[in-house]
Amino acid sequence: MRRRTGLGAIQKQKLEQEKYKDKGNEIQEGQFEQMTKQLEIFKVNLEEFASKHKNEIRKNPEFRRQFQEMCASIGVDPLSSGKGFWSVLGIGDFYYELAVQIVEVCLATNDKNGGLIGLDELRTRLINARGQSKQHQEISKDDLMRAAQKLKIFGSGFNYMVQSVPGELSMDHSAILQQAEKNQGFISVCYLRRELNWETERSQKALDHMVNQGLSWVDLQNPQEKLYYFPSLFTACVNSSN
Amino acid sequence: MSEVDIEWPWQYSFPPFFTLQPNPETRSKQVTAWKSLILTYCQKTKTYLIDVREATQFALFNNSTINRKLEHNVIISILSELQKTGNATPIDKGKNRWEIYWHTLEEWSSLIYEYISNRGMQNTVVTLYELVQGEDSTNEEFNGMQQDVLIKVLRALERERKCEVILDDDIQGVKFFLTVSILCV
Repeated sequence: MRRRTGLGAIQKQKLEQEKYKDKGNEIQEGQFEQMTKQLEIFKVNLEEFASKHKNEIRKNPEFRRQFQEMCASIGVDPLSSGKGFWSVLGIGDFYYELAVQIVEVCLATNDKNGGLIGLDELRTRLINARGQSKQHQEISKDDLMRAAQKLKIFGSGFNYMVQSVPGELSMDHSAILQQAEKNQGFISVCYLRRELNWETERSQKALDHMVNQGLSWVDLQNPQEKLYYFPSLFTACVNSSN
Repeated sequence: MSEVDIEWPWQYSFPPFFTLQPNPETRSKQVTAWKSLILTYCQKTKTYLIDVREATQFALFNNSTINRKLEHNVIISILSELQKTGNATPIDKGKNRWEIYWHTLEEWSSLIYEYISNRGMQNTVVTLYELVQGEDSTNEEFNGMQQDVLIKVLRALERERKCEVILDDDIQGVKFFLTVSILCV
């Protein structure tokens, strides 16, 4: 093929490119418009769905979880705003209410557990504190997690405990709690060496930190070695009513 | 010490409860729990006197189920805390023997005075034995009160001029006075 040369050819090429660009923009705009329309329809539908099933959402923990998952998969957080149009759904209120109650339970038990509470205990206490009607009783752990995550003051990173005191807990501390839970609520340096293959120094540092945070109690009367107990994981403490 | 039917708090089965805690905040919770446990225990068992040297005989300080004991000097420091609120007093210099008042002496004295008033027994002499061992007071909390403690309680009343304690060789008794409250109208 013979190559076209010359000024005319270059200009022509330039013109073609511009036309392509225009066409591209046109298509993009069209798509965007369509998307916006679709999203609008979707929002209306979702809103309709939510208000239609509002009662169901409030009552049924399983349904609530599924709704949350559906929203999450499309990048919508019905809890995120009390102002936006999602507020009409009243889903957020449910979790805010729950969050406040979580704080109350945490404060009430702080004295004995040092500010760390297992989800199971938290759930039991909440159910006792809430109304007797079925709607109030049906609270899943998933609900608790969502509500607690809304409270930024809570430490994160645990999927089975809620921490209500300020201060960081690292992965090491989380691992210690997991081990202690398996072991009736206490742990030792030797135990951590055996189970997690940690050197003494690593265990000691993490354990000292937890004692300083008031999360762990030391027991010096074990003949073999010093033991570290966690009231929040100790059955008798968890089950005690006061 | 006989075993008693006492509802132990959860801490009693929590092994580190018997080790003084290094963290000041945790320790303060621990001491508070101990103070209340000691008073409840003494009230339930009617224990007026604790000899720290024999503390291991008390189930209170020795949980054999989990094999944990509260150390001698820890007991003394907790009892000293109780002393601050008028709930305990050492009766020897070595702080080994302690009187425990689950009601403070003031509370005891008003309990006893109320009992006397309700029965109109003012202006009569009651022997100490009659007062705390007699049949009439079997249902009263002060029934069986140790004499040394009783005398301290009555001395407190005496300071309020509500009684006179008589401690002769032949009679150990007390005469309660009728106190008249004058209301100015």
